[in-house]
Amino acid sequence: MDALRSWVFALEQQGMLPEMFQYAFLTNALVAALIIGPLLGGMGSLVVIKRLAFFSEAVGHAALTGIAIGILLGEPPAHPIASLFSFCLIFALLLHWIKSRTAVPYDALVGVFLAVAIAMGAALLLYVARMVNIHILENVLFGSILTVQDQDLLILGVIGLVCTAAALLFGNKALIATLNPELAQVRGINIKLYDYVFIVFIALITVAAVKIAGAILVGAMLLIPATAARLVTTEVRSFFWLNVGISTACCLLGVLLPMWFELPIPSGAAIVLLAAICFVCSVSFNRIVGLT
Amino acid sequence: MTAPSIKLQNVSLNMAGNQILDDVTCTLEAGRLHVLIGPNGAGKTSLLKTMLGLFPHQGNIGRAWPGKPVPAAYIPQQPRFDTVLPVTVRDYLIGCLSNRSLIFKPTKQQLKMIAPLLETVGLAGKEHLQLGKLSGGERQRLMFAQALSLNSPLWFLDEPTTGLDTQGIEFFTDFLARLKEEQKTLIMVHHDMEFVKSWADNILIIDGGLKSAGTPDEVFSGRTRQEAPVWTH
Repeated sequence: MDALRSWVFALEQQGMLPEMFQYAFLTNALVAALIIGPLLGGMGSLVVIKRLAFFSEAVGHAALTGIAIGILLGEPPAHPIASLFSFCLIFALLLHWIKSRTAVPYDALVGVFLAVAIAMGAALLLYVARMVNIHILENVLFGSILTVQDQDLLILGVIGLVCTAAALLFGNKALIATLNPELAQVRGINIKLYDYVFIVFIALITVAAVKIAGAILVGAMLLIPATAARLVTTEVRSFFWLNVGISTACCLLGVLLPMWFELPIPSGAAIVLLAAICFVCSVSFNRIVGLT
Repeated sequence: MTAPSIKLQNVSLNMAGNQILDDVTCTLEAGRLHVLIGPNGAGKTSLLKTMLGLFPHQGNIGRAWPGKPVPAAYIPQQPRFDTVLPVTVRDYLIGCLSNRSLIFKPTKQQLKMIAPLLETVGLAGKEHLQLGKLSGGERQRLMFAQALSLNSPLWFLDEPTTGLDTQGIEFFTDFLARLKEEQKTLIMVHHDMEFVKSWADNILIIDGGLKSAGTPDEVFSGRTRQEAPVWTH
């Protein structure tokens, strides 16, 4: 990363890049956006098909509690990575485990977990707010490009590689299992295993994206680009690539535009607002063309 | 013959405290069409799914394969798909047949694999239709295509003609004739007694368990191996 940052800095010094590229944190944030954009887009495709949008929202909110627990346990307030990942994973797996053992409809169950996650997060964060700079909490809630460090990029890179490999190897089976679980089971696909692995991936990607998109808004990035792409595509391939394109463009522009125009907007909010513009365009296109 | 026979021994199914099936024992011979009939809620589909291994049950279900075991072909009851789902007939079949990710352009080999399936079930030219936009009959044809792709000698069919128009039923009967000719082991849930009389080799009357069994002649003349059916359609 040092070499990349030096190269970008040199380009800025030579006048080939705008002045804002003199800041190393911008390079970090753009690299993070380049990794997290395709990941959110790719995973969002299956999230929408599996109707798990509400679930990813709940996991994002669970990040609030994870961060508060981390601070309470003495982790660095700006990077409580261990608690954040552990709590969100446990939260996601517990939710899914209870789902398979109760007759409560899934949306209602996720609603309960979402409410509990927000309540716990609010209670603990207000408690720890006395111990840390309040701006750290703002960053956690709405994302900040200032906070992305090499360690975060490494984690993002590893998660990205694992998710991409899994999607390439087992994506078709996961799709078939989603469309008709019984049929998939008869064809020898272990649908329970696929479900749990998918849940773990959503949790990992959600948590990894918290730095850029923020805990409140990260769930939206799994949902909005995919919903926009679904409205204007009719087949898996175009749906996937358009979704990845929208998501990546929104993540990159959401990092760049507030800096370019010197707007005091958190990156998470900018990313989601850009995705919302894409959604409106998709709805309009869909109405005009009458595609789906 | 490569088709398997299926042996059920004291099979019971209890779901959420409700006894759905009680102590079913029978042997379904290889290469024949076995039809499960019975009133609504009798447990026909549950028995079919239990044989498929979809429900945890008590008792034993064994498949005696003359050759190497392969996954069974399964036609579920009228699957429904989200109308705006961006998944086409082609995507679905390629997804069933190939591990190469659907996010890449399909290869010639993949297209070659699905072409005969589409042709056989009458969906050629409709491969770009989204799943949610298929009619009931087209969805059923797609289910036949995915089942055919397994090339299995063992088929489970759950009310395969539900929602089909005359043309669809004609397609299905032709298809069934072909499967019978190839001496597959076929296990089917069906509610049309005229159809069952004409096509079944063996009828199993289900009502919370196996009430009786026999050939169509035996069942409809009341000379069943256990007891006569107690309801009429």
